[in-house]
Amino acid sequence: MAVIEARGLTYTYPESKKPALVDVDLVVEEGEFVILTGPSGCGKTTLCRCLNGLIPHFYGGELRGELYVAGMNVKEHKTWELAQHVGLVFQNPENQLFSLTVEKDIAFGPENLGLPREEIRNRVDWALDRTGTTPLRYRAPYELSGGQQQRVAIASTLAMKPKVLVLDEPTSFLDPRGAQRIFETVNRLNKELGITIILVEHRLDLASVYADRVIVMNDGRIALDGTPKEVYLSGETEALGVGVVKVVKLYQLLEETGLRLRDVPISPKEASKLLREVLSP
Amino acid sequence: MSIFEGFVFRRIDTPIHRLDPRVKFLYTLVTLVLAILFNEFLALFVLFVGQLPLIWVARVQRSWARTMKGSLALVLLIFFTNLLTRWAYAGFRLHPVYLEESLAMTLRFLILVESFSIFSLTTSPDDLSLAMEQAGIPYWFCFAFTTSIRLMPAIARDAQTIVNAQRSRGLELERGNFLTRIKNYIPILVPLIVTTIRRSLELAEAMESRAWGATEKRTSLTQLEMGKTDYIATVFLLILLALAIYIRVSTRIPNLTSLIL
Repeated sequence: MAVIEARGLTYTYPESKKPALVDVDLVVEEGEFVILTGPSGCGKTTLCRCLNGLIPHFYGGELRGELYVAGMNVKEHKTWELAQHVGLVFQNPENQLFSLTVEKDIAFGPENLGLPREEIRNRVDWALDRTGTTPLRYRAPYELSGGQQQRVAIASTLAMKPKVLVLDEPTSFLDPRGAQRIFETVNRLNKELGITIILVEHRLDLASVYADRVIVMNDGRIALDGTPKEVYLSGETEALGVGVVKVVKLYQLLEETGLRLRDVPISPKEASKLLREVLSP
Repeated sequence: MSIFEGFVFRRIDTPIHRLDPRVKFLYTLVTLVLAILFNEFLALFVLFVGQLPLIWVARVQRSWARTMKGSLALVLLIFFTNLLTRWAYAGFRLHPVYLEESLAMTLRFLILVESFSIFSLTTSPDDLSLAMEQAGIPYWFCFAFTTSIRLMPAIARDAQTIVNAQRSRGLELERGNFLTRIKNYIPILVPLIVTTIRRSLELAEAMESRAWGATEKRTSLTQLEMGKTDYIATVFLLILLALAIYIRVSTRIPNLTSLIL
């Protein structure tokens, strides 16, 4: 079942002439893990904001075309309604945590919904457990490292029990190890709970191994869409300024010099396995 | 900014921290009333020293000392303004009583800083907001209040970053006369306001994304409950207040100068 369905989605920010999204058609099935990438200013963040109704309800502007998320027309449902189905995690962890304890922060969403206290407590426990942040429960968000903060931010959207989790460059303030842990956490949510993931990301080398699908945007449009291997092998990613996953590049270079691996590697681990096959007699 | 440092809460576990925020608010209020009720040096001195043990029990002496140090300039200003006006009023003659009275007024200010910093150093803004909510104040107001407290250190950090950035481009802050110095701060203020607005927009986006405003009847994960100690402390504070009013009405507190001379 499609959990996100966009047809001819076009959006222009108020006081802007050039549309930020142009005629976007997109269908995402439930349980998919999608990486959304593209050069800066290509419309990735704008698309994320559409998915939970921040556009058009918070930003205004002109939204044309159709967008259904979890069966709801985004134009007709307010952000607080959509927020119960789509969680949005932002780039800067500092500005999405409000309270002085992690626990209270995770409770913020369910509290807004007016849920009974018992239910809130259960959701907080569950979200802490699922994101591996239980030891941080009584800490203050500002004392935590960027990676820990971002995992708390994920927990706090998770407490809304969303079907879809949208993460807008969640690792750009983090070091590689912190980023790796975010990807692992998100991957677990996807595989164990079946939550659909839309991950906006530039660190393709680290993230690609978890994804079912990679979408590259350019200039407000979807430029490439397919499995990671299809997209990276198409050779167009470099022209779009997204770069290319290093092990895929290695695969292509080896192929040029006449050494063909059995499959296209996406992670260094896969690459080393494939190389071993060729090298050992 | 050091005067604000005393107002930054850190979570530790002491009997004072465990007290209900409403009781601590009552304590601040009672101290305020007492400080205004008395203007004799001796009484105010007792009030000032009497609060000191609380600071040690709450283990906040270091941040408290920093606030006190930060308020030094104001303390001196209050003391000398008082002394000078008394001196001028008396026809430019100095008497030890003026010194005592000026000290008393300064102490009054110090008592207010003291009790307010004990309150804010030991009360989590989250709990404070909860207390306000339970008192029937609308949630948006409580939220705005706690957020402004929480963002203070973040904005101070932003300001420091901007100062460093502008200095590295050759901006000299400590140069020129008073007016030029104020002008020097414009390149700091403009980016600071812009980043703060941007920060608050991001905050608003994140709030929206977590169902802000979904229902009028918002629930809360935790609830404040008054314990036995809280009731004892409340009763104690009220007795103290009554006693102070009684002393005020019935007794004349001598001034120190007349005791010595």
